Amino acid sequence: MMQTIVQTVVRTLDEELARDQNVVILGEDVGKRGGVFLATEGLFAKYGPDRVMDTPLSEGAIVGAAVGMATHGLRPVAEIQFADYVYPGFDQLVSQAAKLRYRSGGMFNAPMVLRMPAGGGVKGGHHHSQNPETHFIHTPGLKVIYASTPSDTKGLLKSAIRDDDPVIFMEPKRLYRAIKEDVPDDDYTIPIGQAKIRQEGNDVVLISYGGSMAETMKTAEELSKQGISAEVIDLRSLMPWDKDTVLNSVARVGRTVLISESPHSLNFVSEVSATICEEILDALLAPPMRVTGFDTPYPYAQDREYLPQPNRILKAVQKVLDY
Amino acid sequence: MLTSTHNFEAFTKEPISFLNQTGDWVADFELPFSHDELLSFYSKMLRARLLDDRFMTLQRMGKLSFVAPLAGHEAAHVAVATAMTKGTDWLFPYYRDYGMAHILGLSALEVFAQLTGSKLDTAKGRQMPFHPGSKELNIYTAISAIAAHIPPAVGVAMSMKLRNTGQVAIASFGDGATSEGDFHTAINYAGAQGAPVVFVCQNNRLAISVDFKKQTGSETIHEKAKAYGMPGYYVDGMDVIATHLVMKEVIERARSGVGPALVEALVYRYGPHSSADDDSVYRSQDELELWKKRDPILRLKLYLEKQGVWTQALENDLKEDITQELNNALELVEEAGKAPTEWMFDDVFADMPQHLIEQKEELLGE
Repeated sequence: MMQTIVQTVVRTLDEELARDQNVVILGEDVGKRGGVFLATEGLFAKYGPDRVMDTPLSEGAIVGAAVGMATHGLRPVAEIQFADYVYPGFDQLVSQAAKLRYRSGGMFNAPMVLRMPAGGGVKGGHHHSQNPETHFIHTPGLKVIYASTPSDTKGLLKSAIRDDDPVIFMEPKRLYRAIKEDVPDDDYTIPIGQAKIRQEGNDVVLISYGGSMAETMKTAEELSKQGISAEVIDLRSLMPWDKDTVLNSVARVGRTVLISESPHSLNFVSEVSATICEEILDALLAPPMRVTGFDTPYPYAQDREYLPQPNRILKAVQKVLDY
Repeated sequence: MLTSTHNFEAFTKEPISFLNQTGDWVADFELPFSHDELLSFYSKMLRARLLDDRFMTLQRMGKLSFVAPLAGHEAAHVAVATAMTKGTDWLFPYYRDYGMAHILGLSALEVFAQLTGSKLDTAKGRQMPFHPGSKELNIYTAISAIAAHIPPAVGVAMSMKLRNTGQVAIASFGDGATSEGDFHTAINYAGAQGAPVVFVCQNNRLAISVDFKKQTGSETIHEKAKAYGMPGYYVDGMDVIATHLVMKEVIERARSGVGPALVEALVYRYGPHSSADDDSVYRSQDELELWKKRDPILRLKLYLEKQGVWTQALENDLKEDITQELNNALELVEEAGKAPTEWMFDDVFADMPQHLIEQKEELLGE
């Protein structure tokens, strides 16, 4: 069925709610309103207030309650309205959710999903544009995934819901309605930890994830017009991430540019870059180049300029080609 | 055991107390326990105290790196542990609650194994001392971060309610915890959505060194319950019977679907916050002496003496049995040794991901 990312979220949640009685949804406005982005539209009417729950305005309560619900036997899919608002719930995430299985020696675990619309380009400024994934990736015990297409959204969200550990499911909100894709109707999952090669190429490897996949694909198109063939990898999974796919491509091609709109310092692509250098230095024809957001809070007036646009990515590609 | 409820009054000016410090039953109703049942309360409190004594001894011998003493809290620990339904209800303890956990059923072996990071620890030596946990007993593994266990307690209670399991969650914490955001956000959620959870605050008026008066502008903790849409009970936490009766009532009410409650049990911490603390700089001896007169074990002993039920011989036997039990457990734990390094990389996730396999290889050089 042709559907956008946000439509895929609704339909996938619907399927999972129907498939497993223990799946529940909770968050602010997810019930009656169907979510401020309509990501849970119609589910309250269909499944009722015991399975689609409107919570008080407290991310600490949302995340903490999700931990408890999951520990006791439910499979909660909690929503943080904007990733920027995860912070009041951050301690519950990193101290409770992330560490429960480990500190209990496996006696307790929390099979929960925390969904959050993330990323900029929506004229939302500081607190409607953040990509905080680095904080989560750096916390052992959390899985972090970030789909960029409707079909990936379905498979990855199902995997997240069926996973026995906490999974943070980040959604590129500026792409929520930007792409329509014919998503297969069957019940399929995409394994967490698996990247996807969106297109094959030989001159440079472009690695990205989330919202930045849009600009990356645009850049690849622009490059092909210039006769440069780019291999494009969509990481999809950040913790754990698909090292094998990345190293295979980069070792073969020798040049890579990594793109992510999160702030520059300790951007996740730094981890990928460091790994590439440690493990396949001899195969590199140029240093890996990062094109990222800036080390500033997300500005309102420069909503577009903050993001790694194709012009910046092209400059980086030129650098690695000229090296 | 108790079959009827007393309909205890919430928000009383004075703490609910029935057994006073001279060992007299001063309630306007008959003591609802037999002598055997009272002896059971007594021996449990004695057990908690002996356990605590052993903690202190081990720490002085250098066998425990850290201790959070519980002396003064025994009645509260025993009251909560006996009021809840073992194996059915879930307990969310904080770091001082080893008495509570042990009386609920956590064996001395499990206690000492956790304290020493032993190979026998059911939590595989993952945490520093004073973090009880048990899958079998539904004791949610304690976390160091203060009040952080309270939101999950509410989540567990919500699941109990949604799945209609007839269980109750009990969240235990001190007065300091009631200043954390997690306390407020959790109790607010519970009150708003009717979660079957009982919040029990062991108020000893000290958060390490910070006095209660600096902790909150309220006169009491339990009065805050009103703001969250539930009854708050003010209880003499040195009276094991009063505390037990109130806890039992609110737990069963929660179980029957009436909703959550907050209980404030007034206790006193005889020892420092922990073995790393020097309480002489912030606490007076006079205050300590005053509270020792209110000792929970002493007052029950006085009552039992007056009933002609307690004897020194009985006490000696009890002490001997418990001491032997603790000795045996310690021996086993010492024999087993530390949790092995190989275990360090397990339980981050259900399955070990590739990067951890590699990191493990790096450390253990396989």
